[in-house]
Amino acid sequence: MSLSPLIRKILLVDLVKGLKVTFKYQPPSEAVTEQYPLERPVIYERYRGQPRLKVDPESGHSMCIVCNLCALACPEQLIVVKGERNPVTKRKEPVSWSYDLSRCMFCGLCAEACSTGALELSQDYEMALYSREGMVLDQAALERGPEPVQYVK
Amino acid sequence: MLDAITNYLHSNATPGEAGSMLWATIYILIIVIGISLAVIAMNWLERKILAHMQIRLGPMRVGPHGLLQPFADALKLLIKEDIIPENADKLVFWSAPVVVTMTAFTTFLVVPFGREHAVTDMNIGILFMLGVSSLGVLGIIMAGWSSNSHYPLMGSLRSSAQMVSYEIAMGLAIVCAVLMTSLQTGTGTLSMIGIVEAQAQQQTWFIFKMFPLGFLAFAIFAIAMVAETNRAPFDLPEAESELVAGFHTEYSGFRWSLFFLAEYAAMLAVSSIAVTLWLGGWMRPFPNWLNGGAWGLAFSFFPALTLFVLAGLCLLGAVRMPKIPQMKIQTAGLTMFGLLLGFIGLVLLAPGVRERVQDIYWFVVKVAFFMYLYIWYRGTFPRYRFDQLMKVGWKVLLPTGLGVLIATALWGLMPQISSSVARGLGVLP
Repeated sequence: MSLSPLIRKILLVDLVKGLKVTFKYQPPSEAVTEQYPLERPVIYERYRGQPRLKVDPESGHSMCIVCNLCALACPEQLIVVKGERNPVTKRKEPVSWSYDLSRCMFCGLCAEACSTGALELSQDYEMALYSREGMVLDQAALERGPEPVQYVK
Repeated sequence: MLDAITNYLHSNATPGEAGSMLWATIYILIIVIGISLAVIAMNWLERKILAHMQIRLGPMRVGPHGLLQPFADALKLLIKEDIIPENADKLVFWSAPVVVTMTAFTTFLVVPFGREHAVTDMNIGILFMLGVSSLGVLGIIMAGWSSNSHYPLMGSLRSSAQMVSYEIAMGLAIVCAVLMTSLQTGTGTLSMIGIVEAQAQQQTWFIFKMFPLGFLAFAIFAIAMVAETNRAPFDLPEAESELVAGFHTEYSGFRWSLFFLAEYAAMLAVSSIAVTLWLGGWMRPFPNWLNGGAWGLAFSFFPALTLFVLAGLCLLGAVRMPKIPQMKIQTAGLTMFGLLLGFIGLVLLAPGVRERVQDIYWFVVKVAFFMYLYIWYRGTFPRYRFDQLMKVGWKVLLPTGLGVLIATALWGLMPQISSSVARGLGVLP
């Protein structure tokens, strides 16, 4: 359909076209809104969210061997690990862990550097907090993972 | 005493014509409450429809499908702090929303919802409506000026320029319709009821009269009325991206809600002008084609049917609610609302009520269509630039309006012109 621009203008062809588009999208089934606390987004496997420290399920020990590779790999230098050798098992065990989430950019270099696969960036994404101090995670918090409040309507 | 009250119900006249002060008061109360309810409904519908047009969901949390959202908003606005800027002109600042609201509501005095459903049948009805509604711009200028702030002032200046320029095109379009009322009787009328009756007499809505002149006049009015009520795409006075909120930037709480109320009431008012002048007012569709008792009866069931459909939707929604204890109150509320609508529908089925209500129903349906158009425009069109707005107003609508007016007048005079020409030529005595 080729009309001269003048006729298009007089008959408001373009406006009617626009009206058609908006009219077409009206059925609520077209809506892309995700009602967040009720519906949750699909999180993909390679998503890098809140860091977790794994615990060996058999022995119950932390899988971290305090090799310090993660702290070295971190571009923000926000990981501080201290550990000491357990005289019984002859394993090096973490004594204090500190992971400052407020400075983390979730690049995942620490998880890549981890020699035992103890540190990983999990798929948890609900990390909002009321205090800045709470963003510095210690070993317990890293092993526990986030505990978001469940929304019930 | 009781006779004086019920006598009116048997007379087929507006309270103004019947001279019944009591019923006029009752009508005014009903209209004020009705308009307020319509504004509440419009608030919800606009947010919902606009959201769906933009592939969103809109309000979903306050009540089922956000049905209680307008009430929550109203409550919030009522209990908000009442702020008057320190350097504002207090008296003017205080009276501006009152002026705007009063003018918007006063116009409904002459709107004919049915043959006998208007407060009064004023013989200069349409003129009265135009006059009063254009006073609204005074309130807007007052609001902008008294706020003592840049954005409100800019907004109100834009608003006044816009309203003044579009009122001319609007007036010309209205004169076309008024000219048409004189076609068969020879005497035109400015009365709103008279205009609808003229359409009934001429067996056609004025939008189809003298095609395409009636339609053109209607189109001019339909564009001008969007500009007149400061709605998208002509919402320059409240252009959010440029002027914060235009003339009501400094207003908050209840005063702001008065502006809101007035804007929607004005939209309803101009829509009812359009419906009265071009779309046959309270007349049902096809009164001459689908006439006869059976069709009349069938069409008189429409109001009840509409309410039944709405009630059915509510009940369906209640059935589809998730069956969890947290949703119990919402489900019960929605069921009650559905049952209430169904009950009103049943009342509307009663023969006496049916006859009286169907005028109002058809009028409301036509106005509702215009309200949908307003929302549709807002969901679709980007805003005009100010020079484009002035260009459309002065260079397109005004000349077209003048042309249509002259053409309508010539067309109407055709019989006289042709006969006088024939007489001049000596064909007729």
